[in-house]
Amino acid sequence: MRWYLPYGNPTYFIWLALALIPLMIGLLYGRRFRGYQTLISLFFLILTFGGPNWHTGLALIGYLIYQLILVWAYSHYRQAKDSPNKGWIFVTAVVLAIIPLVIVKITPLFTPNRQSIIGFLGISYITFKVVQTIMETRDGMIKEFHPVLFGQFLLFFPTISSGPIDRYRRFEADYAKVPERSAYLDMVEKGVRYIFQGFLYKFILAYIFGSIMMPQIQQRALMAHGFSWNIVAYMYVYSMDLFFDFAGYSLFAVGISYMMGIKTPMNFNQPFKSKNIKDFWNRWHMTLSFWFRDYIFMRLVFFCMKHHIFKSRTTTANVCYVINMLIMGFWHGETWYYITYGLYHGFAMVINDTWLRFKKKHQDHIPHNKFTELFAIFLTFNVVCFSFLIFSGFLNTLFFAPKPF
Amino acid sequence: MSMKKRLFMIFGPIFAAALLMLAVFLSPLWSSLNYVNPKVVNNAASSLSPQVLKGQLIKRNALEHGYVPFFGSSEWSRFDPFHPAVLAAKYDRSYQPFLLGARGSQSLTHFFVMQSINPQLKNKKAVVFVSPQWFTPKGEDPNAFSFYYSPLQTTSWIKRESGSKMDRYAAYRLLQMPSGNSDREIAGALARIAAGLKPTTSQMTYVNIRNRILLNEDQIFSRYRVPLNNEKTIDKNEELLPNQYNYQKLDQLAGKIGAEKTTSNDFQIDNTFWNRRLKSHVKKLKNFQAHMSYVKSPEYSDFQLMLNQFANDHTNVLFIIPPINAKWQKYTGMSSAMLATFDKKITYQLRSQGFNHIDDLSHDGNVPYFMADTIHPGWRGWLTMDKAIRPFLTEKVPSPRYRIDNYYYSKEWQNESGSDNHFDD
Repeated sequence: MRWYLPYGNPTYFIWLALALIPLMIGLLYGRRFRGYQTLISLFFLILTFGGPNWHTGLALIGYLIYQLILVWAYSHYRQAKDSPNKGWIFVTAVVLAIIPLVIVKITPLFTPNRQSIIGFLGISYITFKVVQTIMETRDGMIKEFHPVLFGQFLLFFPTISSGPIDRYRRFEADYAKVPERSAYLDMVEKGVRYIFQGFLYKFILAYIFGSIMMPQIQQRALMAHGFSWNIVAYMYVYSMDLFFDFAGYSLFAVGISYMMGIKTPMNFNQPFKSKNIKDFWNRWHMTLSFWFRDYIFMRLVFFCMKHHIFKSRTTTANVCYVINMLIMGFWHGETWYYITYGLYHGFAMVINDTWLRFKKKHQDHIPHNKFTELFAIFLTFNVVCFSFLIFSGFLNTLFFAPKPF
Repeated sequence: MSMKKRLFMIFGPIFAAALLMLAVFLSPLWSSLNYVNPKVVNNAASSLSPQVLKGQLIKRNALEHGYVPFFGSSEWSRFDPFHPAVLAAKYDRSYQPFLLGARGSQSLTHFFVMQSINPQLKNKKAVVFVSPQWFTPKGEDPNAFSFYYSPLQTTSWIKRESGSKMDRYAAYRLLQMPSGNSDREIAGALARIAAGLKPTTSQMTYVNIRNRILLNEDQIFSRYRVPLNNEKTIDKNEELLPNQYNYQKLDQLAGKIGAEKTTSNDFQIDNTFWNRRLKSHVKKLKNFQAHMSYVKSPEYSDFQLMLNQFANDHTNVLFIIPPINAKWQKYTGMSSAMLATFDKKITYQLRSQGFNHIDDLSHDGNVPYFMADTIHPGWRGWLTMDKAIRPFLTEKVPSPRYRIDNYYYSKEWQNESGSDNHFDD
């Protein structure tokens, strides 16, 4: 028995193809073999969380039981007739939901180079799913708690390690039904295309940028001691690697979901074509940025408006942008570069909004044409790539890490 | 559109691509595409790249065009004007060294490297640089071995193995390495070979297919994978040499350059090496090698694999046994008696089997500017070796008569310390 990272090597795909055939035949003939689907999900989870990783498998099981009890308890409270729907209970539920993730994230701060024993691959992404379920239960959007369906949603194996982050109601609706044959064939067609696009992205382009070019440039930049043009080269190469690696992975996850008759949302939509930072966040790691928009930014804005914390709407939005992005920075990890990356994007959003308002006010004087659009794309691309240079932690290695000799 | 037609439209291209890929990678036609640009070969000869070591095409091509294999390890990367590759290039020798090996490549790796060039070793010449540091009590480091492990060479060898003692011992050693167990089918075949059995038909089918695919990969891609490593270094070092080869003058020059490069310390160690690797913790290294021994090691039997393969190929081999920097040896407390025993033991293993071309430099560790650092020869050391290498490779040498003795594969030999004058007879 071998153990695999999801989509890590060709053998994993052969296993996938073999396991999915019966499920696909079922779907073509109008049946969803739910028992079989559960069985293969279990198989693929064991491939990732079994063997030498068994302790993370245990952590996953413990985590799952904890969250099921938590969401069950909150749903029981909230979905009862004439539930008092207290704010503090809701807040407590959310805090309890994110506590395991927080522990996992801050453990390396206290014990360097050690991972928390309650951590496992993909804990962030499951936590996102739990928190949104609690929030939508509070809002009354989710009216029923179904432990098995909820478990299926959390453990949906194609997206377990790094998303895309689906929504419970959307997932449940797909899972409950079987698509029409022609609609399903469309999904299969798209799924195959996504998977092969993923091969191109992850195994060819990300390999060229990340495994061939990056180490050489990194070496040269380190040898130069201090600033050099190699850092600029590193910035672009790292950005390309980051995109093609993650977008490739996301394409696999979405493609495999489609084969299973589940329309997991897309994660990337040509992000380097963005005309501004806001546009970028609508195209880059979309399920994460939409999650932050819906469950952090919007809720912060409502909270501030309800309690009249700031006079102007603009100030409210600006403060919420920065807090929102700062939290995203903290989520990436407790290092100066992730946090700086968060702040950078928060302020980039503020500047972007200010500029757009200014531009709207002075429409008559500010030109808008093909050329300015191209310039906007160029500028946004470079602003984003610079943020990825911060994010990469390479500046940390370059300027603060102890020298090897 | 009917369901069948749509499914065919969706999955047809995937099957077509898979078939095409199989056809390309299993096709025997690639093996006739043997041309490699001489420039690429020239680069490869001094690249010290693991890719070149693990491949086949480039080495074969080089050895068929006047290059001679120089088996060794980390010493090849110490380029200076007297390095064998520089001397051969500068003075247009009839041979050019093809440097095989880098840090951590030892006998077992070289045995498998030889499997990719057996036809080119037949009745030809080779040079082997035998590092005493290979012969540690644990022998080859499994991680270093993995780094140079080539499934291509392994499968080529399995295809030809005949169940001889050499083959059985090689299979046994390979199974002790993680690399030998990295492929379940191959590990199964190795277990059978080690036990003296032929691999099963299905194992052989697997080995043949795998070998064909790896061979084609090598034929198609290896010529584009040669890194441009040391070309410029060699060119620059050539410029420092006079146009005429005069040993006395070169020896003076070697001493002069050596003196200029070793101003930072009392061990006559190259300044760069000293400053980067030793200066900061030299205090801690006092006497740290007091208990080091190169006398008992599984490496002796791995080395026997190389000798056995040379004997099978009737290759005429020159063995170079380097010294250790005597000042450093004294400082780190390494035993001279132990080194003398090592020298006796390895020489005995060579001579008793008919390997008589030995350039034994083990007593030259205190010759000024002979060593470039602690264990690697430099300036005058390289030049001294040239006195043995040049005539060996340019003049006619009688064909060897080897007598392979399987005793050298035994634990007794690995642990033999020569206490009862065993090496003297």
